[in-house]
Amino acid sequence: METLKLIRSFIKVNVEMSLAYRSEAVIEFLLDIMWLGWELLSLQIIFWNTQSLGGWNKGELIALMGVLTMVNTFMSALIWPNTEFFNSAMHDGSLDYMLLQPVNSLFLVTFSRISIWRIADLIVAIILIVTGVNLAGEIVTPYNMLTFLLLIISGSVVLYSLWLVLIAFTFWFTKFDNNVTILQALTDTGRYPVTVYPWWLRIIVTFIVPIGLATSIPVQALRGDLNLQQVIIFLAVSIITLLISSQIWRLGIKRYSGASS
Amino acid sequence: MLRIYQRMAQVNWAEQWQYRANLFMYILYGLVTPIVYIAVWTSIANAQGSVSGLTANDFIVYYMIMLLVDQVTGETVIYNFVYKIQDGSLSSEVILPVHPLLTRTLMNNLAFKVMTTFVLIPVWILLSLLFQPTFASVTLTNVLLAIPSLIFGFAINFLLSSTIVCIAFWTTRVWALYRLYGIPVALFSGQFVPLQLMPKIIQTMSIYLPFQLFKYFPTQLILGNLSTHDIILGYSMDIVWLVVVYIVFRFAWRAGLKQYTAVGA
Repeated sequence: METLKLIRSFIKVNVEMSLAYRSEAVIEFLLDIMWLGWELLSLQIIFWNTQSLGGWNKGELIALMGVLTMVNTFMSALIWPNTEFFNSAMHDGSLDYMLLQPVNSLFLVTFSRISIWRIADLIVAIILIVTGVNLAGEIVTPYNMLTFLLLIISGSVVLYSLWLVLIAFTFWFTKFDNNVTILQALTDTGRYPVTVYPWWLRIIVTFIVPIGLATSIPVQALRGDLNLQQVIIFLAVSIITLLISSQIWRLGIKRYSGASS
Repeated sequence: MLRIYQRMAQVNWAEQWQYRANLFMYILYGLVTPIVYIAVWTSIANAQGSVSGLTANDFIVYYMIMLLVDQVTGETVIYNFVYKIQDGSLSSEVILPVHPLLTRTLMNNLAFKVMTTFVLIPVWILLSLLFQPTFASVTLTNVLLAIPSLIFGFAINFLLSSTIVCIAFWTTRVWALYRLYGIPVALFSGQFVPLQLMPKIIQTMSIYLPFQLFKYFPTQLILGNLSTHDIILGYSMDIVWLVVVYIVFRFAWRAGLKQYTAVGA
């Protein structure tokens, strides 16, 4: 109950902050649409030259683009603004006050900043997914739909866990202000199915920076490629990584208080 | 004048050496896209033998050479200049008797370039080992022929971005503008695919636009894929665009500086 109230007040504060940047939001959204136009053209250029890419057809790649847009929305609405917030709080020492508050520090570091406007991109994402699935001519069963949604969430949880570990590293290596670059740089690999990548890149985007878990895997579930056992494994992996990363965060916090005194 | 450049280069080198840990992360950004494109196009070329006459090796070589071309012609003006206009630290630079953008920022760019090259080279060699391309079409003559185009390419790219940076004198939304600028670059520079795979109309337009001059043109020169006619046309475009961009930049800078003083007073 307490948490819900807190989230509500966080949202309220952030809406008020965002209201000052209405025209920026419109410009950003228009830019997103224009870039989307380019992405669609580049996809078209690929499919002028081939029938399938790594075993996927054009519709499936458009759906994949929609899923990536969804993941990107999650990143740009929550993860990147809070990274900036955390890094500057770490820098100017205001993190001390944050940790003193009687609320879970993990919660504060995740929800302090919310870029409300970015959520407009979700509409684009949904249009892309629906169009893509229709174009691919696939019949989506309710079961496939359910596993698709669950796997998007679990994939995002894995990415969130990785993010948490990366920013927690700042407690050990203070000068690590590029802490999330690896995550930002590799997000674009989610645009294409992991099956097109050479083995070493496939290992990186599946196990080290698991963008593929949040993009390719959910679309595979939508296609009905995954059996129940695989779905359960992916869900379990996300829970385990979340538990491990929150432990690492806690260790980091302990270390931080030790260092500042 | 030469001593000014020399001194600026030394200062910038020392300054940036402190941030060497960040270099690798910077390089990583530039690496992901070409690697992804190599993966995509080689997977198509391997499945069907070739794509419009281009083999898997052609694609690998194209993107690998473009990585190096980009390293030479790339610029970072917006990252180390826009904030100076916005927080006013430009004031202390404009009173110096040298041009802030064409000396300090230029040297900053070059020092950064030299430093990132040290990181890029081992990574590039590693990629060559992983993709195993054959660079048979790269000859010494081609490379020599391409060197002027690399210098032209950097100059044009640097001046184009500097012109965009000048817009920061009027508006705070220069980053949005920079993102917008990325779209014509993506369309016309050949960074996504060799231009012959693009729609005809884009191919024709890109010949007369400046964007391919700092990516596609030098890359194809090094690879020896251009006819004499193409080479002459490309270099003519280099000269025309360098003059045009320089004039536009001078104009934008002067007008911008007037605007800046007006705000500062």
